[in-house]
Amino acid sequence: MIFLYIGLPLAVSAVLPLVGKASKRVLPDILANTVLAGLLVYAATGARALLAQGPVIQQVRWLGEAVNIRIALDGFSLFMLMTIQLVSLCIALYSINYMEHYGAKANYYALLLVMVAGMNGLVLSQDLFSVYIFLEVAAVASYALVAYGLGAEELEAAFKYLMLSVVASAAVLVGIALLFGMTGALGFDAVAAGLRLLEAKGVAGVAAALFLMGFGLKAALIPFHAWLPDAHPSAPAPISAVLSGLLIKVSGVYAIARIAFQVFDLPSALSQVLMWMGAVSIVVAAFLALGQADMKRMLAYSSISQVGYVVLGIGIGTPLGVAGGLFHLFNHALAKGLLFLTSGSVQQATGTRNLDEMGGLAKRMPWTAGTNLIGALSISGVPPLGGFWSKLIIIIALIQTGEAALAVIAVLASVLTLWYYLIMQRKAFFGKLAEQWSKVKEAPFWMTAASVLLALLVIGTGLWFATVFSSWIQPAADALAKGF
Amino acid sequence: MTPTTLLWMILLPAFSALALLAVPKTVKYVRESLALVSAAVSLYLAFALFAVKDLSWSAAWLGSIRLELRLYQFPAFILLGLAGFLFLITLYSVVKMKDHPRVNEYYAYIFLSAALAFGAVLSDNFVPLVFFWEGLLVTLYALISLGGKDAHRTATKAFIISGLCDFAMILGIGIVWSLSGTMTISEIGLKPEGPAALAFVLMMIGAIGKAGAMPFHTWIPDAAVDAPVTFMAFMPAAFEKLLGIYLLARICLDIFHLEPGSGLSILLMVIGAATIVLAVMMALVQKDLKRLLSYHAVSQVGYMILGIGTAVPIGIAGGLFHMINHAMYKSGLFLSAGSVEHRAGTTDLRKLGGLAREMPVTAAGFTVCALAISGVWPLNGFVSKEMVFHGALETGSIIFAVAAWVGAIFTFASFLKAGHSVFFGKRSEERAPGKVKESPWTMLVPILVLALLCITFGVFNKLPLTQFIQPIVASHAEAGAHLDFTSHALDLFNLIAGISVACLLLAFGIHVYGFKRGGNKAYLASEPIHHAPFFKQMYDWAEKRFFDIYEQGVKFLQGLSWVLFKGIDRPIDAVFEKGATAVGSAFTGLLRKAHNGHYANYLAWALGGLVVIIALVNVLLK
Repeated sequence: MIFLYIGLPLAVSAVLPLVGKASKRVLPDILANTVLAGLLVYAATGARALLAQGPVIQQVRWLGEAVNIRIALDGFSLFMLMTIQLVSLCIALYSINYMEHYGAKANYYALLLVMVAGMNGLVLSQDLFSVYIFLEVAAVASYALVAYGLGAEELEAAFKYLMLSVVASAAVLVGIALLFGMTGALGFDAVAAGLRLLEAKGVAGVAAALFLMGFGLKAALIPFHAWLPDAHPSAPAPISAVLSGLLIKVSGVYAIARIAFQVFDLPSALSQVLMWMGAVSIVVAAFLALGQADMKRMLAYSSISQVGYVVLGIGIGTPLGVAGGLFHLFNHALAKGLLFLTSGSVQQATGTRNLDEMGGLAKRMPWTAGTNLIGALSISGVPPLGGFWSKLIIIIALIQTGEAALAVIAVLASVLTLWYYLIMQRKAFFGKLAEQWSKVKEAPFWMTAASVLLALLVIGTGLWFATVFSSWIQPAADALAKGF
Repeated sequence: MTPTTLLWMILLPAFSALALLAVPKTVKYVRESLALVSAAVSLYLAFALFAVKDLSWSAAWLGSIRLELRLYQFPAFILLGLAGFLFLITLYSVVKMKDHPRVNEYYAYIFLSAALAFGAVLSDNFVPLVFFWEGLLVTLYALISLGGKDAHRTATKAFIISGLCDFAMILGIGIVWSLSGTMTISEIGLKPEGPAALAFVLMMIGAIGKAGAMPFHTWIPDAAVDAPVTFMAFMPAAFEKLLGIYLLARICLDIFHLEPGSGLSILLMVIGAATIVLAVMMALVQKDLKRLLSYHAVSQVGYMILGIGTAVPIGIAGGLFHMINHAMYKSGLFLSAGSVEHRAGTTDLRKLGGLAREMPVTAAGFTVCALAISGVWPLNGFVSKEMVFHGALETGSIIFAVAAWVGAIFTFASFLKAGHSVFFGKRSEERAPGKVKESPWTMLVPILVLALLCITFGVFNKLPLTQFIQPIVASHAEAGAHLDFTSHALDLFNLIAGISVACLLLAFGIHVYGFKRGGNKAYLASEPIHHAPFFKQMYDWAEKRFFDIYEQGVKFLQGLSWVLFKGIDRPIDAVFEKGATAVGSAFTGLLRKAHNGHYANYLAWALGGLVVIIALVNVLLK
């Protein structure tokens, strides 16, 4: 019943506004968290058993008739499903306290679930048109969520996000149209087969470039990144965490990887372009992060930089490189989710996001400061946390393929990463407690609990990286290389 | 007596140490009773083993390495000595250490030291030997650091100096192992030539470093001030001397066969003679009783090394006899100093005086031990020193005998000064009469036992010599072939003894002269020598720790690290801190300027990117 991943969140999100009329807080909290927890458990147990006999393809039936919608589950999809449900659940837990003062929690959870349904659908699609549909489902929900606070800044950011996203959707649509025109098919395998027969390299190249631009905009790769530092910080903290932790990866990186590997069979030209886009993103965004005084903006630029690592790893195309990229995707989803949640805790406690105004907060908010440090160290690649292993694997894969220059860039950029995260630690949490923060309190229970849960996951992934790698990442990388 | 008794000899004090550590602070008497019983049982076991004298026990230990223990005449004798001192010091500590804030740690470390020392003496394999030997390093550090806040520095100093000596010993053992192919000590017998000579020197450093010879002695006078006085009586005065000289004798007699008149023999004698003279000169001018005693603890090692270094039977026997004699009177002296400190609250010679009236028993014990260390007939120190003089003269190098006599002069002079200023002469004005009492009996008994032993071993010197010393030397055929104590007249009426007596008279003269010059103040008796033209300069330098290899080494390393810091670290740091940050900030500034919030710009970048990618993909595809 893999259709559950799309159907259940959608159904619940339809009911939630009605539930919200009866119970403003408790029922929506319970409902949303239960759905996500249930889906997570199903991904970790049931769906894995399903996969034992190979990829699962499911035909959607409407009134007993087969309609032309088919969804499929393989190792890669399952890995993404797992990541999506895990991070979403932590975010929903965090929202129990955090979204109190925004009001209309039921609507918020409804939008969140629509977005989750969109992302789940995207990773279960096996044809180009479904990809486009679910891309838009997730995107529309995210526009509304960025604007959720309804302040001037939020609305402006949502509008900018919408405008650039529309360009992305248009590019993707044009790409799909080109491929459909050439091959007359939409399924990944059918299009790939058609392309092999046609030998129309030029047009296929343009289509690939359009996909790279469209999904590159979604993934915020440089030079398509400019909307992200406005959109992500403006959203409520848990939404920033979903956007940075999940959405850019699912609708950007996942889609690029699927299409590059399964539709275009990753020609070396595409591989080169992907790797260099990744490398440029890593370096430029790291420098940009260095210059930020706004905590969430710094995190947003860091997301661009880290997505660069993921794309760099996948772009290598070797089994190890792909696995490293996917592992980094997972680690970054956890750590960046954690960092945005803690930044939300800080913002709620102090009312500011400006690092220059903070200082010494670790004394008043030890849990927040501690978990934030763990997330920052993981992303910076400090052993033995998760981020270290994934970066190491990517660098090893680069050296194996003879890309020494890129390997050096990847190593040096992680120094930059550590640099700006240490600036963040020093300005926000270390040092003397500023006078005006002497009354600041630690974040409420669920916010702290969600942060601690993510921090434990980050540590656990690092300590048992071999287990995580062999049981989740390797099957995903294998599935990507093999196809449905 | 089964062979496993050897193992119990080691395990009993080790388990006692653990038990003593566990006894809560608030429980009275249990700790002391446990310590006394355990020490007594150890002593009994040592007696029993001494009666057996021939046992060996071995078991597989670390892989192919065996834990081999072997008991024969020599270890049995040392074991008896160690156990005896353990008992006496424990008895003394019952009162002296009662109020120490970390008393349970103190007893635990003492018994752990005893266990390790027993193990080191019994080991017949280099690996367990090194294991026990290095373990003593830990308890050494721990015991000194019990002395309080400032003791930490001295403890570190002792640890580093002893650690370096032990490291040399391990290197030497490595060479011996590669030459002989075995780790079992009793199977080794090398001629000290070529690489074996290097191994000899390295192992010798380990042994004399443990015994506290120059130049590895410098932590001892510091520890005398910082560490508990019972530690001084226990470790540097007794245990370390016995262990160090035991190992030195084993090195010279068993592991290597040292030839009289060989270069290595001369080397040992030079170290011995230099240690005697230099340390006693330092002892002479000390103003603190414990510090004065500690320099003598160094100086007397010189006699033992000189004696063993002669490699002639009478010299070796003299060195070994001096080892046990010294352990007795030096332990007694430190315990007397502790007794004085216990009641008078200080060991500063300038603040004491006339204590003999208030503490007659301590004074008597101190006097006997002081006369013994000075070599006054008929005490034990006289006998063993005579043997060393004989040995030194037998090698034909008269200079070493002269050095030993010079040492004897100043030893007596400094003890005249010390005894005179503490127990005799005028009472210090600071001390109200009747305020100071004699120490309790548990502290006096050990002092008196040691003093009586000094007299017994001196008057009836044939008894220990034939019972303890002769069998040891005799068991080494080459060295002990013709050892016969009657051939060397160890009584008062011969030329060598005459010179010794003349030395003592000279020392008395020096003391009286200094006493008169210093305005009848005993503690100033050494000032004429202290301020003599050449000596003044040397003493000044010594006072500034000019000759202390540890302090000089620390200074050198500090200088080196300063140079490295300023010369290498800071420039590199400047490149990163100034250079890298400047470049990074400039680049960041440029990028930030580009992000000006204009939507049109962003869209233009995206479209530009699309064009570039289309071009790239098409170029690369061809």
